[in-house]
Amino acid sequence: MSTPGPERVPSTVKVGKTTGQGKPPAKKAGANRPNAGKGGKGRKPVTPVKVSGGRNWGPIAVAGVVVLIAAGIIGYGVYASVQGSRAWTDKLADIKGVVNYRAQKNATLDDRTHKDGALTYLTSPPVGGSHNPTWQNCMGDVYTEPIANEHAVHSLEHGAVWVTYKQGLAADQVAVLQKKVEGKDYMFMSPYTGLDKNVSVQVWGYQYKTDDVNDSSIDAFISAARLKASMEPGAACSSGNTTTGPVTAATSNGASMDTATPGSSSGS
Amino acid sequence: MISDVTSSDAGAAPEEAPAPSRSRFGYAAVALLLAGIVLGAAIGLVVPRFRTPGTDSVEAGFLRDMSTHHAQAVEMAMIAHAGSDTPGIVTLAADIATTQQAQIGYMQAWLRDWDLDPTGDQPAMAWMPDAAGSVVNGLMPGMATPEQLATLRKATGKQLDVQFLTLMRAHHLGGIHMAQEAEELSGNKDVDWLADSMVTAQQGEIQLIDDLLKQAQAG
Repeated sequence: MSTPGPERVPSTVKVGKTTGQGKPPAKKAGANRPNAGKGGKGRKPVTPVKVSGGRNWGPIAVAGVVVLIAAGIIGYGVYASVQGSRAWTDKLADIKGVVNYRAQKNATLDDRTHKDGALTYLTSPPVGGSHNPTWQNCMGDVYTEPIANEHAVHSLEHGAVWVTYKQGLAADQVAVLQKKVEGKDYMFMSPYTGLDKNVSVQVWGYQYKTDDVNDSSIDAFISAARLKASMEPGAACSSGNTTTGPVTAATSNGASMDTATPGSSSGS
Repeated sequence: MISDVTSSDAGAAPEEAPAPSRSRFGYAAVALLLAGIVLGAAIGLVVPRFRTPGTDSVEAGFLRDMSTHHAQAVEMAMIAHAGSDTPGIVTLAADIATTQQAQIGYMQAWLRDWDLDPTGDQPAMAWMPDAAGSVVNGLMPGMATPEQLATLRKATGKQLDVQFLTLMRAHHLGGIHMAQEAEELSGNKDVDWLADSMVTAQQGEIQLIDDLLKQAQAG
């Protein structure tokens, strides 16, 4: 900005008087300074018309396209940035039918203390509350018999998605669910006694129920919430209980992983 | 003609009364400055997104899949750590469990840094070309089946040692293959660094596993 200044000053001094009328000289095409003084007023209406008439649209169009592309790239970047950082809770909220139990601020549901023995839960299947010190192994484990709520809720606290289905659901439909679970950590599934729908998927504080195993909302729920729902970032799904059947009072941290609970052993 | 006009325009402008011309320049300069700041901020907002891998990238796919792959190594190592009576195997299991759990932390933290979800919609191994066939029942290369894990949990003594070492050897081979492929395909220096360290460490551990396996089978 500083360099043009000094240049302008001398030029103003030289010809300042002849072009004292202000704007007109600025429009004179190709005028040398001496000439500019002579015919200022006469030429000025003529030349602007020629200039605007001779506007070259080619470069303007090219520049326009370039600007459009640049704006598009920037716009997409902003969109991707906003979209990419969308909260998982917002994604869950977009799924019709998902129940948000975290929003209820219910002290019993939010209770994260460890308690031995059988516990009662507010929802069926449970989505939160106090739980057994031992979590259910949730390394993509597919349990073929009902498992203890007390262990499963602890897995929800660790960020796992628990896929439950009505006990007695047809094998081919169970197989559809199994495909969504096996081989994936922070996933586990089991039949659930007395389930009011064919399928219920839950993480800590959120639940979605449906009768259709092919319901795309199941996948959307898993995609949005798996691991992100964790109340303890970094908590693992391994080293958990791998047996099925009800919880026993003797079950506690680690020591009983393999042998404590009675009932049929895991099918996985 | 046109260039003539513009140049004379520029040249002539100062000839007129300097005061109004300058203030017009001043407004233009301020407007340009503001536009520049807005544009700069917009670019600043966007550019980091272009410089970090996206959700469908090789890097993100590898970090997510290797997190799951590592988690099973931790699972098996914890079983051996709790159940083995052989000091060398207990130590190896502790090494594997702590190292790989820490590496899961690195991988998850990078995904978080990049504003990506810790888990993705893509099927396992989708980031690796021609690798879809290597996934069996959701299991990535080298991963133990649920049946093998169930057997390992029940095993004791020599059986536990041999099963653990055999399963972990296969698990390492699968992991090394994935890490080598990621190193080749990824353009992110952090990912390359971690993948390279996995290859080196796990190749070294395979030699140790082979030695321990000989001892276990002899004993």
